[in-house]
Amino acid sequence: MKIKLTVNGKKYERDASESKNLLHFIREDLGLTGTKEGCGAGECGACTVIMNGKTVNSCLVLAVEADGATIQTVEGEAKNGKLSKLQTAFKANHAVQCGFCTAGMLMSSRALLNKNPKPTVDEIKHAIEGNFCRCTGYTQIIEAVQDASGQLKKKGGLKRA
Amino acid sequence: MLQNFGYLAPKSLAELYAVLKKNSGKAMILAGGTDVLVNLHNGCMAPTTLVDIKKIAELGGIKYDKKNGLSIGAVVTCVEVAENKDVIKHYPLIAKAVGEIGSPQLRNRATIAGNICTGSPCADSSCALIALGASLELSSADGVRTVFLKDFFIGPKRTQIKPEEVLTRILVPADMAGANFGMNKLKRIKGHDIALVSVAVAKTDKVMRVGIGSAAPTPIVTKDLAPNASLKDTLAAVAAVAKPIDDVRASKEYREFMINDYVEQIYSDLFNGKGR
Ligand SMILES: Cc1cc2nc3c(=O)[nH]c(=O)nc-3n(C[C@@H](O)[C@@H](O)[C@H](O)COP(=O)(O)OP(=O)(O)OC[C@H]3O[C@@H](n4cnc5c(N)ncnc54)[C@H](O)[C@@H]3O)c2cc1C
Ligand code: FES
Ligand code: FES
Repeated sequence: MKIKLTVNGKKYERDASESKNLLHFIREDLGLTGTKEGCGAGECGACTVIMNGKTVNSCLVLAVEADGATIQTVEGEAKNGKLSKLQTAFKANHAVQCGFCTAGMLMSSRALLNKNPKPTVDEIKHAIEGNFCRCTGYTQIIEAVQDASGQLKKKGGLKRA
Repeated sequence: MLQNFGYLAPKSLAELYAVLKKNSGKAMILAGGTDVLVNLHNGCMAPTTLVDIKKIAELGGIKYDKKNGLSIGAVVTCVEVAENKDVIKHYPLIAKAVGEIGSPQLRNRATIAGNICTGSPCADSSCALIALGASLELSSADGVRTVFLKDFFIGPKRTQIKPEEVLTRILVPADMAGANFGMNKLKRIKGHDIALVSVAVAKTDKVMRVGIGSAAPTPIVTKDLAPNASLKDTLAAVAAVAKPIDDVRASKEYREFMINDYVEQIYSDLFNGKGR
């Protein structure tokens, strides 16, 4: 089926197979491989993208369901080769180890900050509830989001998540 | 790539009824897809056609009025329900229950109608809606029928819905608006997880009911209790319907213990005026 969608501000028109999910469409058909596949079944959040302003697990959306949608992926964060403030905060606060969860974490954090520019620690935890990280222990990620929102008082000051 | 299937997205109910009639038994309704896509991924389902109902305007919207109560359209997502002013004001138990479903990403897609139609004994929305005496509007080319949620489930993952039917709206009675409530869900972790058991109590000045998830092959509800029923009578009514089993996630004994514990906790909150 022919679908039209806007990804990171760029318009695409493609023939999408009915039985392809949005995750595989973004990676294979659009070549945007920043978005990762972990479980493929809604558990891990590695595949999180922002669709029409809301985070979704792109493994649980069919490409054809995204016809007409506006989507943001991790590739939309950096502008002209410069990391976004959120990405810079992830880097500065060691919120990235293996990096597999990072694209999804950034998208969940981005959607939160769009709605709520000064989130509390609890609000950050709720926002990334659907994103698993097996490396960092989450503390650094929460601190990075606090930092990006200008709220981090002391690095490493947060009790274990 | 998932297995091969066709995709249709009818734009009206009339069109949907025709599609369901023509493809009876082979078509599968697609709402938020959070169960359907997992099942396709696992290969435990092989529909020939997915019928996306999200483009049908008649299936949207949340309506409330004093006389008729609350009506939630089939394609309304969990987030839309949890953030709806009328739901928060008149039926806060529903807002609480849908907030328990999965993660933010899932709640942004998942519908309550899908949560009910999946027929899982642990569906969080059902536990609350059943305590509120909700009913379902089931529609097809042949007409509309209304069934109580408590009668809708016939076994694990089995419901009364016929292949040509669609759940069009979820109805919650007006006399349960403003009900006092409490809800507890037992999980293995603090983050998103399905319920080992869940208990929801709704109480007005006329009636009290306890809805329970993961305690029987289907979500269940006690008989109507008097609003001033004793704790002993409440626990007896729960014991009369709750028949938990051992499974990979919890033992029967643990479930029984936690159901009673939750009922006691909520009861004490409700009767000391702290329930909401
Ligand atoms: C990782 C993960 C965690 C989860 N955690 C929870 C949890 O904590 N609590 C919980 O309750 N659930 C949980 N769920 C399940 C929950 O996401 C689903 O039950 C969801 O609510 C289903 O809604 P949907 O719109 O996505 O339905 P879909 O997946 O689109 O459909 C589900 C089923 O209902 C049918 N259907 C849908 N709409 C209609 C209709 N209007 N009429 C007739 N049939 C219809 C479909 O054909 C299908 O069989 C979880 C799921 C995942 C993947
Ligand atoms: S890959 Fe989509 S949630 Fe894990
Ligand atoms: S950095 Fe490795 S999973 Fe999060």
